[in-house]
Amino acid sequence: MRSDTRRDLLVAFAFLAVFIALPFLLPGRYYLGQIVLIFFYAIVASQWNLVFGVAGIFSLAQMALFAFGAYTTAMLGFYLDWSVWLAMPVAGLATIFVSILVGLACLRLTGAYVALLTLAIAQVMYFLIVTDTECYVMEGVRCRQFTGGAVGFSQFGDLGTRKAFRGDWLTANYFIVLGLLIVSLLFTYVIMRSPMGLAFRALRDNPGYAVSRGISRFKYQLLVFGLSAFFTGVAGGLWASHFRAIGPNLLNLSLMLFVLAMIVVGAVGRFWGALVGAILLVAADEVMREFGEFRTLGLGLILAFFVVAMPQGVLGLLESAVQKLKPKRAEQDSPSP
Amino acid sequence: MDVLPYILVTAVTVGAMYSLATLGLSLVWGAMGMLNMAHGALLTLGGYAAYSAVTAAGLAWPFGFVAAIIVGALFGAFLYFGLVRFMLGSTAFETNIIIATVGIAIALENVILLIYGGQPLGQPVSLDGMFRLGQVPVASQNLLIVVLSVAIMFLVAFTLRTSKIGRAIRATAQNREAARLMGVPTRSIYLQVLAISGALAAVSGVLLSSITQLSPPLGNDPMLKAFIMCVVAGLGNVQGSVLAAFVLALVEACTQFYLGARWGLPVLLILVILALIWRPYGVFGRTQVTRL
Repeated sequence: MRSDTRRDLLVAFAFLAVFIALPFLLPGRYYLGQIVLIFFYAIVASQWNLVFGVAGIFSLAQMALFAFGAYTTAMLGFYLDWSVWLAMPVAGLATIFVSILVGLACLRLTGAYVALLTLAIAQVMYFLIVTDTECYVMEGVRCRQFTGGAVGFSQFGDLGTRKAFRGDWLTANYFIVLGLLIVSLLFTYVIMRSPMGLAFRALRDNPGYAVSRGISRFKYQLLVFGLSAFFTGVAGGLWASHFRAIGPNLLNLSLMLFVLAMIVVGAVGRFWGALVGAILLVAADEVMREFGEFRTLGLGLILAFFVVAMPQGVLGLLESAVQKLKPKRAEQDSPSP
Repeated sequence: MDVLPYILVTAVTVGAMYSLATLGLSLVWGAMGMLNMAHGALLTLGGYAAYSAVTAAGLAWPFGFVAAIIVGALFGAFLYFGLVRFMLGSTAFETNIIIATVGIAIALENVILLIYGGQPLGQPVSLDGMFRLGQVPVASQNLLIVVLSVAIMFLVAFTLRTSKIGRAIRATAQNREAARLMGVPTRSIYLQVLAISGALAAVSGVLLSSITQLSPPLGNDPMLKAFIMCVVAGLGNVQGSVLAAFVLALVEACTQFYLGARWGLPVLLILVILALIWRPYGVFGRTQVTRL
């Protein structure tokens, strides 16, 4: 077994043990709810990391895809009375389709152009939902827009845990979200270690050489957009079912930055970056909550500080510290993905 | 009643403002390959600086512009000393600077929110009164916007073309390494470009808030549109982005009038996507498509 595979396995079991024990150790529901948030963010960040970190495509559309999954689930439940359990995978598939369209639009662009185009797509989606005022159905005297308008959706069904587990519904939801996190992290790991992951990284690091060795940019760019979308969309659906309400605030710029900051703080392009970043930023957000109105200010400064001072992220820093301690081992260890 | 003159008046006014906002973005991208996501926050900052200068310090309204220019230039310089200085030449500068400036942008927007509060304020730096242009009534403020924007654009174009700084900026934009070897102090050029761009953004923020209202997210929507215009023209192409600003303002005004206000941005976006598929480096972009 390769040494970094063994290390990843150890880290995975440590995280898993902690996460399984947490619901039985934590006092009160509040902290459990915050851990569930960490899981959601980590799922999206890990998929985003595939596009941004591994494939090197600076797309800012990931939160829009997440919101798309959430809206699809909510709307299927609301208008067609689908169970969220059926709606979530369908939302995931629909998100793949949308993501591939975004990937097609970005196909001939690089760097900053991709960022601008995807940002514009996300903003237009927000703008169209918020300004939607046309009545689609009437609910008594209130009018409901097709996209839910500025209010969003609620009462489209939930995971059924409240009925089945009553007081323990949050713990049940916790394990459902944890399950999705594990599956999506496994998925990410397999992709990063597969020849496909190598192709993504090759196209990121030296597109000219990669293409001349027969790696199709067209194929792999669409692949990474499609692959990273499924769990993003499903996570959006799960988010909607967990909170039992969604609104256009999912598309807020500050939420997008919050998740982007997780990747940057954790480590861009590293497997554990998304999870570590999510834990660190939600913790930092908790601390900043004490200062109330300075929260956003703090988030902005953290983001800027990390990019300037440690662009390799916390994990990159950790790794170079370890390498300094063990100079002889450094040559054997292949760089982790 | 014929609506076309009204649409034209709106389009010219808005186009003048957009082109001013686009100008700063385009300069910074052209000279240093930096996409300044704090540009929208700088717009807002300029608007509030002018507001404070007139209401709190009690200066006459033209000094609002002076205050905005000073504050904008200072913040541009701060961007250089706080961020760019450390990041220049690092790998992935192009994406990292986007993330860093986004961080600064939301921090700045939050500071403005904390100081001034979230309620919209009226911009005192504006002209009252109307006049008639043929049959069409035009607010004097619209004329001020157009005249000022065009004057500033000519000033910038003139400076770029003839002055020593302008030549140094163009040289840096064309080839950073060669410019440095020829003795152009590229780092101080970056500082100057950021300061100029900050001042331009601040002025366009004052003009923008004079026909809407001051609020902390004021600059976000125009910044997005300025980006769209830059991208259509090809990032860094100054003349092209000014032209694109006027054309897109006209398209936007027509769309908003005939389809409704909410379709303005989506239609612009669709145009951009089409333009980028047709020419990935912008309609007037200099870089050739690298076929891979």
